[in-house]
Amino acid sequence: MQNILVSLNEATRTVNSGSNKVTLLDNINFNVEEGEFISLMGPSGSGKSTLLNCIGMLDNFTGGGYTFLGEPVHSMKEKNRSKLYKEYIGFVFQAYHLIDELTVYENIETPLLYKNVKSSERKAMVADMLDRFNIVGKKDLFPIQLSGGQQQLVGIARALIGQPKLILADEPTGNLNSKQSEEIMELFAQLNKEGVTIIQATHSESNAAYGSRIINLLDGKIV
Amino acid sequence: MILNYIKIAFRTLRKNKGYSFLNIFGLAIGITCASLIFLWVEDELSFDSEFEKQDQVYYVPTHQEYDGEWRTFNSTPGPFAEAMKTEIPGIVKASRTKHRDLLFSVNDNAINSGGRFVDEDFITIFSLKFVEGNAKEAFNNPEAIVITQETAEQLYGKNAKAIGKVLKVDNTENYLISGVIENLPKNVTFPINWIAPFERWSGDKEWTNGYGSFFADTFVELSPEADFNDVDAQVRGLLEKKTGDSDSKAFLHSIKDWHLRAHFENGKQVGGRIDSVRLFTIIALIILLIACINFMNLSTARSEKRANEVGVRKAMGSGRTRLIFQFISEALILAFIASLVSVLFLFVLLPQFNLLIEKDLVLGLSQPFHIVFLLGITLVCGIIAGLYPAFYLSSFKPVEVLKGLKVTHGSANYIRKGLVVGQFTISIVFIICTILVYQQLQHIKNRDLGFDKDQLISLNVNGTMIQKFDVIKQDLIQTGAVSSVGLNNSGILNGGNNGSNLTWTGGTNTEDVLIFFRYISSDFLETAGMELVEGRGFYENMAKDSTSVLITESFAKLMGQGSAIGKKIDRGDVYTVVGVVKDYLFDDMYGQSDPVMFFNYHGEASYMYLKTNPKIGTSDVLSKIEAVMKKHNPAFPFEYSFVDDAFNAKFKSEQLVGKLSQLFALLAILISCLGLFGLAAYTAEQRSKEIGVRKVLGASVSGIVKLLSKDFLKLVGLAIVIAIPVAWYVMDNWLGNYAYRIEINGWIFVIAGIVAIVIAMVTVSFQAIKAAIANPVDSLKTE
Repeated sequence: MQNILVSLNEATRTVNSGSNKVTLLDNINFNVEEGEFISLMGPSGSGKSTLLNCIGMLDNFTGGGYTFLGEPVHSMKEKNRSKLYKEYIGFVFQAYHLIDELTVYENIETPLLYKNVKSSERKAMVADMLDRFNIVGKKDLFPIQLSGGQQQLVGIARALIGQPKLILADEPTGNLNSKQSEEIMELFAQLNKEGVTIIQATHSESNAAYGSRIINLLDGKIV
Repeated sequence: MILNYIKIAFRTLRKNKGYSFLNIFGLAIGITCASLIFLWVEDELSFDSEFEKQDQVYYVPTHQEYDGEWRTFNSTPGPFAEAMKTEIPGIVKASRTKHRDLLFSVNDNAINSGGRFVDEDFITIFSLKFVEGNAKEAFNNPEAIVITQETAEQLYGKNAKAIGKVLKVDNTENYLISGVIENLPKNVTFPINWIAPFERWSGDKEWTNGYGSFFADTFVELSPEADFNDVDAQVRGLLEKKTGDSDSKAFLHSIKDWHLRAHFENGKQVGGRIDSVRLFTIIALIILLIACINFMNLSTARSEKRANEVGVRKAMGSGRTRLIFQFISEALILAFIASLVSVLFLFVLLPQFNLLIEKDLVLGLSQPFHIVFLLGITLVCGIIAGLYPAFYLSSFKPVEVLKGLKVTHGSANYIRKGLVVGQFTISIVFIICTILVYQQLQHIKNRDLGFDKDQLISLNVNGTMIQKFDVIKQDLIQTGAVSSVGLNNSGILNGGNNGSNLTWTGGTNTEDVLIFFRYISSDFLETAGMELVEGRGFYENMAKDSTSVLITESFAKLMGQGSAIGKKIDRGDVYTVVGVVKDYLFDDMYGQSDPVMFFNYHGEASYMYLKTNPKIGTSDVLSKIEAVMKKHNPAFPFEYSFVDDAFNAKFKSEQLVGKLSQLFALLAILISCLGLFGLAAYTAEQRSKEIGVRKVLGASVSGIVKLLSKDFLKLVGLAIVIAIPVAWYVMDNWLGNYAYRIEINGWIFVIAGIVAIVIAMVTVSFQAIKAAIANPVDSLKTE
């Protein structure tokens, strides 16, 4: 029996838009086991990103239960929640979101700073990661000097550096051409084989096929 | 972590050069300004502070009542010092002093040197340090004189021993140098170059021994245990007891107040230079605040650029505290760079500033206090400037900003607008104040003085000038450079000799009125350009006028209805009024003309006035006068002053306020404009898409410029509305200090408003035009 990483129980998110109450996520129920590679699919506005953000704790469900590694996230204080995601979750964004003022090396290093990792350890970890992604030669470049694929590579490296249990990727190949997409997806598949749990949101059938399970969303509901 | 912040701060600076420049430059100007003011304040506060007995040394002035009003005078009667010392237990030392300028000559080398005749206690009251000789024996010899190191050097050159030498004084007397003391600190209220035993001056002057004449500057030292209030009360009582007159009260004036709190009104201490010190300290703080506001504005305006970074960092696990810390450290780094730049500015500007305020301030970066103070300013500025942006930027929610949503401005927008209004309000207040201070100064300077201060030269009377007056006059007029020569016992601009207890025909309660006495030569009135309204002037032969006096109009008014000619004035002797002179101003240029009584006697004149020929160049005039003076009074160096210079010097503190308010108004506006410029740039950038769309839809360049400028002008308009009552209130208060003052005119507010609008327009329209003429394709493509 695998460990249950994420467990959603009738998780709901509603927002007030003017006088209307809009339901973004409607009674979502599913579990994510460690080692899974899940693809969230659905058209624009179906709630993929919202669901990812809520699982990533950047956003909150407004109803239902959310347990992460057995801990009830929905009843946690902001501080503990932030501690939890800092420790266990890595993010990969469609627009990469690297910090323009930092070099490749420093971008990858940033999460470690926030985890108060010692300098010598940081050096070793970042060097490992650069090595693994074959970007040692680019470590002193700024994001603007890289291609989109390379930037996303750095983005993934940054997400992985903190050795998270779960990677959340929101349209990770949305801004890339097909060849670059393929490389990134191969990388995800590889990481998944090495034991990293991944949830990705995607439009693309072919990208979704890399996952071990597909969850389809429409209008905030699992279909 | 900190290294990471510093790194990112520097890269952000480099990447946004324009923004960094505005921020650093603005803050640097602010810090420079504040540093200049604080240097000046430090200098002001340092007066007399280097004397050791700060809590024990006091000066003893007197309040005297005339006509129901208390006036304050510096002098006390001769025996009062000794009386205080013996009769008041809390007073352990006391010294009479009399200031004099003496002419020292050593061979061909002659210098005029100011110093004091003092009692021996003076040496210990001021803890004077002897380089040669010692305090105990300094005054053993009645012919002794103690000089400062600087004077010794001037007389005998460097490293020469001065003690034991005989010094020729005023070409007539010999003094024995009994000691050399260290120079006094630069900033002292009562500077001295020498001291000599008091008796040497008072000698056979009988009147210095009684309580009838107030002439001595008296200093006392209290015992460390003495209670100030108790001793002060005893001092007040003692003079009353000694003089038997309840209209004179001596009091203690602390050494700490001599420079800054020496203004008295109706017997009460009412400030003095401390008011200027406070005013400029406030101005310094305001300018720093304006500079900090700039920083806040520009930082929050750029928030959209930073929002993404905030989102990413939060997603990476950064807490809010860390972000706040990061942004504040960025602000601190900027502030630190700004303060380095300001040190550069200070090096360049301090000499100019010194010229302006006529001081000799030094930057003194080797003084730890200055470094700490500068760092303190930097730190405070960095924190004030960084705090709001830090809280604002760190409040962004990662989900919202990472999705690429526009940051909802809300509160920040209002605060930013509020800050711009604040900046401009301050600037406009400065503009209005500057204009009014200037007007008031001109108003007073152009006031009808009752005499003609132009082309008027004043010489100190010394040597044989009085004995040879007639020849000197004749020779001077013969040169053609001088048209008239007159003598006076008192400086034309000074208060000088006065008294009360007179009676005259046509007056009641005349005893209480303070009358000023002037002993002049017959042609003084002509020389000074004073106007005879009634009667005759003095005869050249003073003997013929031994019982005649001239009076001023305000005195004539006190004598009641009808002509004053022929009326009698009793001042022990009885005098007859033979002429009335138009009122003229002296001492307080802002006040009323006090009544004056002129006597035809120049035997004890102190000043010689020369009316010069305007057709001859100044240097020519001076060399001609000098030749005559050298001929008739060869023992004394030729020293002169222009009355109009002396007149201008009377407005020193007002002029300082005027000059500085001009300078700071300019800088406040400059800093505000830098901020506005930056803000306009970011607004234009933010709205570039809107501008693109509008242009595609057919908007004209001028329409877009108007669109962009309108919002800013509204803010400036609001600032004008707020600034006017504030400026009016402040300036009405300031003008309230002057009896002779201008009325505040409405058009000044209009001018200040127009100036502000024009400046804001120029600043904003540069950015607006740039945005308006940009190609819309570029701005629309970016999305």
